[in-house]
Amino acid sequence: MNAIGKLGLKQRYALLTRGLDWEPSYQPRDKVFPYAAFEGIKVHDWSKWEDPFRLTMDAYWKFQAEKERKLYAVLDSFAQNNGQLGLTDARYVNAIKLFLTGVSPLEYQAHRGFAHTGRHLPGIGPRIAAQMQSLDELRHVQTQVHTISHYNKFFDGFHDWQHMHDRVWYLSVPKSFFDDARTGGPFEFMIAIGFSFEYVLTNLLFVPFMSGAAYNGDLATVTFGFSAQSDESRHMTLGIEVIKFLLEQDPDNLPIVQKWVDKWFWRGHRVLGLVAMMMDYMLPRKIMSWREAWDIYFTEAGGSLFEDLARYGLRPPRYADVATAEAEHISHQNWAIFYQYTHAAAFHTWLPSDEEMDWLSEKYPNTFDKYYRPRLEMWREMEKEGKRFYNNGLPQLCTTCQIPMGYTEPGDPGTICFRTSEFRGETYHFCSDGCKDIFDDEPEKFAQSWLPVHQIFQGNCGGASVEDVLRWYRMNLGADNMDQAGSPDQRQWDAWMEARRRVAG
Amino acid sequence: MSHTLTIEPTGDTVTVEDGQTILDACLRRGIWLPHACGHGLCGTCKVEVVDGTIDHGDASGFALMDFEREEGRTLACTATLCSDATIEADVEDEPDARRVPVRDTVGTVVRLDDLTHDVKGVVLELPGDGLDFQAGQYVNLTVPGVDGPRAFSLANPPSQRNRLELHVRRVPGGQATGYIHDTLRVGDRLTVTGPYGRFFVRTADPVPSIFLAGGTGLSSPKAMILDLLERGWEQPMVLIHGVRAERDLYDRPVFAALAARHPGLTYIPVLSEPQAGDDPDLATGFVHEVLQRHFGGMFAGRRAYLCGPPPMVEACIRTLMQGRLFERDIFTERFLTKGDGGEGRVRSPLFKRI
Repeated sequence: MNAIGKLGLKQRYALLTRGLDWEPSYQPRDKVFPYAAFEGIKVHDWSKWEDPFRLTMDAYWKFQAEKERKLYAVLDSFAQNNGQLGLTDARYVNAIKLFLTGVSPLEYQAHRGFAHTGRHLPGIGPRIAAQMQSLDELRHVQTQVHTISHYNKFFDGFHDWQHMHDRVWYLSVPKSFFDDARTGGPFEFMIAIGFSFEYVLTNLLFVPFMSGAAYNGDLATVTFGFSAQSDESRHMTLGIEVIKFLLEQDPDNLPIVQKWVDKWFWRGHRVLGLVAMMMDYMLPRKIMSWREAWDIYFTEAGGSLFEDLARYGLRPPRYADVATAEAEHISHQNWAIFYQYTHAAAFHTWLPSDEEMDWLSEKYPNTFDKYYRPRLEMWREMEKEGKRFYNNGLPQLCTTCQIPMGYTEPGDPGTICFRTSEFRGETYHFCSDGCKDIFDDEPEKFAQSWLPVHQIFQGNCGGASVEDVLRWYRMNLGADNMDQAGSPDQRQWDAWMEARRRVAG
Repeated sequence: MSHTLTIEPTGDTVTVEDGQTILDACLRRGIWLPHACGHGLCGTCKVEVVDGTIDHGDASGFALMDFEREEGRTLACTATLCSDATIEADVEDEPDARRVPVRDTVGTVVRLDDLTHDVKGVVLELPGDGLDFQAGQYVNLTVPGVDGPRAFSLANPPSQRNRLELHVRRVPGGQATGYIHDTLRVGDRLTVTGPYGRFFVRTADPVPSIFLAGGTGLSSPKAMILDLLERGWEQPMVLIHGVRAERDLYDRPVFAALAARHPGLTYIPVLSEPQAGDDPDLATGFVHEVLQRHFGGMFAGRRAYLCGPPPMVEACIRTLMQGRLFERDIFTERFLTKGDGGEGRVRSPLFKRI
């Protein structure tokens, strides 16, 4: 027994990973791992996989148990002390609605995805790593469900997040992103989620989000965010090991990996547009602009990553330059879309105040005053005249990213960008070259996209009127949707603040 | 006030400035520690504090648990030093690394040669036991009237521990190299501290070796090759030495003679900017181009040792990697001239050493 107690971390890890593998004897390997070959990835020697971390299962439970204790202590105290009253403003809750209904279900998708991928990777090292990440992701979604549960007691829009995730037009953007990854092969999933999302783009998602929560008094979110981020060490190092391993195993893997890096960078960039809008428009107390976050977390950090990857012959993602140019525009264009369609969304929108517009002018000196302020001011005039603008048409969606086609041509912010492809006699529409390329590479896959607007027109979404569709989404009309001004959320918040003033005398 | 940090198990030391994080100090000195998020949230850079006092900085309570703090762990990316300290990090110790303790000694200049128009060969004689070191390592030289020591790789094999050979290129405007070129005389005494560095030959698993040198980056490969030949190394070795023009080339007769005696050694000097009248038999181009041509762009199954200016090293790493030789078989020592210390590019966590 003593001998076992004396094993080093490295040896113990080896016994609990490599030592658990076996050679199948009554089925051939290619039957046991049926998805290992069709993507074209060649692996000659799984033993060259270097375990990116050495966490054994027994230690894993010890760490996760303490994280859980800490997290739930904070969530309990937030609940008992009515933490929601400490938020900067009721508007902030809408950012949380978007995150918890848009991103939290992705944690569950990641759990499923890593479980499936772990099962189908023929190497024992990555299989164990994927198993641990699968458990992490399940923990993350649980922590976020508890946060949803708390906010759902006081605010609208949280009550049926799972149902909505599978149906609501804008939630189809993050959902289809993950559906796409999970329906790829095991290697594409590892590059899509393990590398592109968890490593290249995760800081852009989590850091602004958690800082935003901290700046706006949302301790519940800060805490689940920190708790999730602490697992990221393993997720990020796994993503890095995956890409190195594939590039080192065979030169034929390079063009395949390059294609996935191009694809998943662009898909991730499109999904993160929701975070851009949140940072620039939805946080009552701002942290930094999306443009600034992009410069720090993608241009600088991603730049040094891709400079290092260039040694393998991998180039930076295609259209990274377009994405960087779009950082001047994307938050404004997204907010404009949601402002127009907020009657069909489960969160509220509003127009920025004078102060906020000045902040945007300062952060976006090249674009805000020239292209976006005039439209917001026009909408403000319309509001004053009692004609708050809601767009009653249904938008055309991009077949790939599923976002309404509201983005503009690279270098020409006055012209909407339209791209099309023909496939089996049908015309498919795209918001950008990046999305068109992704379709053109796998038209058979993307021609099956469940596009919310198409589905409405085909009669598959509860009826012919907007109201029918929203009921099918299970939205509470007049509570979940419409402008922040006059919403039950806002009325209740005002009443709480009024009561607080009365008590304070 | 700055403090000294020792990193175990390798025994490297770095100076950490006031307010500077352990990770930043290490990365800027070319010492890789595992890391990812860089701001105290993910926990990848967790290290054990063996000795000394540190400040955890903004380490998240989830990335660095209370029980871990009590057990003396910290996050390198947020921790700063309150005193000199020693940490133990999850970095591999090399089976070929001999841990030779650093010591101070005084050498007497016994030879000064003009190897080229701007490279001086300096031979220092050491008293007593001389200096123990591994071929490829460097020493710090204290030059009179110049603040701070300067690093120079040793060009002699470790068998000649009383007779150190340095190759000193004149850095334009450089105080220390200017002194060595203009003022230093035979009979002068200089303080030598060393050995330092993790650049040494891996012999545990013998495979053919490639040595790539740029300019005075020849010194370490010279020591390594002489050492291997003395030890009866039988694997093939190729040395490619890149310089601008023939007037920058030195030690050509030494290596030509060695290659004539040892059929396993191939010596290829190469000129990147040949001048009129240069020997037409010499190869031309950059080191990585000759490397590519000589091996037909395929390097798998070998091991490469690189020493030279950063652009040469980077170009060679790319050539090697695209020819299927990867980090585990590529070893390098970067030239760190004075001023490089705090200005190194912070790299991504993709590679550990190269």
